[in-house]
Amino acid sequence: MNLQKIVVIGAGTMGSGIAQWFTQQMCFVELVDSSPEQLSKALASIHSSWDKLVEKEKLTSCQVNQMKKLLEVKSLDKVSRTSDLVIEAIIENLDIKKELFKNLDEFFAPHTIIASNTSSFPISMMAEAVSHERKSRFVGLHFFNPATIMKLVEVIKGKETDEKLCFDLYQWFDSKDKKPALCKDSPGFIVNRVARNFYGEPLRIVEDESEGKMKEVDRILREVGGFKMGPFELMDLIGIDVNYSVTCSVWNAYNEEPRFAPHALQKKMVEERRFGRKTKRGFYKYD
Amino acid sequence: MTSVSFSNKIIQFGFGTKVEKKNFLKDHSDKDVFMDLSCYDPAEFYNEYPNLKGCFAALFCDEEKKIEIHFKERNLEVLSKLNELGFKPFEVTIISCGFIFPRTIVQIINEAHYALEENVASKKDIDRAMKYGVNYPKGPFEWSMGRETYVKVLLDELYQKTNDKRYLASKLIK
Repeated sequence: MNLQKIVVIGAGTMGSGIAQWFTQQMCFVELVDSSPEQLSKALASIHSSWDKLVEKEKLTSCQVNQMKKLLEVKSLDKVSRTSDLVIEAIIENLDIKKELFKNLDEFFAPHTIIASNTSSFPISMMAEAVSHERKSRFVGLHFFNPATIMKLVEVIKGKETDEKLCFDLYQWFDSKDKKPALCKDSPGFIVNRVARNFYGEPLRIVEDESEGKMKEVDRILREVGGFKMGPFELMDLIGIDVNYSVTCSVWNAYNEEPRFAPHALQKKMVEERRFGRKTKRGFYKYD
Repeated sequence: MTSVSFSNKIIQFGFGTKVEKKNFLKDHSDKDVFMDLSCYDPAEFYNEYPNLKGCFAALFCDEEKKIEIHFKERNLEVLSKLNELGFKPFEVTIISCGFIFPRTIVQIINEAHYALEENVASKKDIDRAMKYGVNYPKGPFEWSMGRETYVKVLLDELYQKTNDKRYLASKLIK
């Protein structure tokens, strides 16, 4: 497999991170967004990030000049129809995504791989929007934030995705300093499923809103467990609303399986708009 | 199970069934006992055995030998003895079945086994995903290697204590 021409749709945090990473692999990347302002903002941010990497001597100015030429921002109708890979990284709304995939399927050449960076929706459900011929080239590629730093890419095989295509993508990412993981199209894929208990179990250990107990759990999981952050400080950073939403999504997808049940405290905090760092109130206070 | 005695104290290490742990406490009722209760509920043991003065969780620790320890009353002599034996004890006040780290990690390990049971991904890819997607220091299968019995015993104990099906062990954990 040789991926040279990439289109990334959605210039938010994930989309621009994915575009930056592919450009750093010396691919030709077209970053697309419906908002020209968002595109300008994303391009400026990527350029600034590269300039900082030159200052830190992680990249040479020659490499960065080349990368700047390889990354373009544009509207969807202006991108190359013969791209090798298109990655969708837009809002997590199934109807909007399906509409986009229908258009992408009609727009791009038959060989183009269409991928979604979704963390919430089944790949096979989104593949319903594309033609029978495209289904085998429709795949999930789930990157982790920040995409330029986090090495994991979950390669998700939908019901009709070609097995060899998944394997080839796996090998391609492996050859580019990513750590791909091949997984089945099931709710939460690997990480968002297996990580649920890193939050759910400490909530059940603490049971109430005692800040002292939360601090103790965070300290033990950092110092004894070796985790970079404790669960409560991490939930405050991610956003308690975001974490609760992912938990509910996995729980619902597994027919309210008790292993994924959200904790009452998460619901209460969301109702009280205590979302963590972003609202200055979460499990801890940030004044 | 092994133990270390000094003055009027005994520190008991290693895995044992609940009955074995309780028999040990009965047999040493004239001593102050400090015991590894990684897979059990310290509250149950404290209630039944006044000679149990503290407990710790060492079964899930790695080569750094960092362990959680709970005291009824802080005991510097025991801390010093554990240090001497190469352990790095971290004192806790929370009394929870399976302490904090073992209880959290067995649930992560259990979910990884359920994912494997459902063919979501291979062991290698599950470990890789957790290490490189969310920066876990080890993958769930790396953590459980050689500790499968402790994982199963703690999950069963949590299920028995809470009657909550979230603690039902995957059939791959034996």
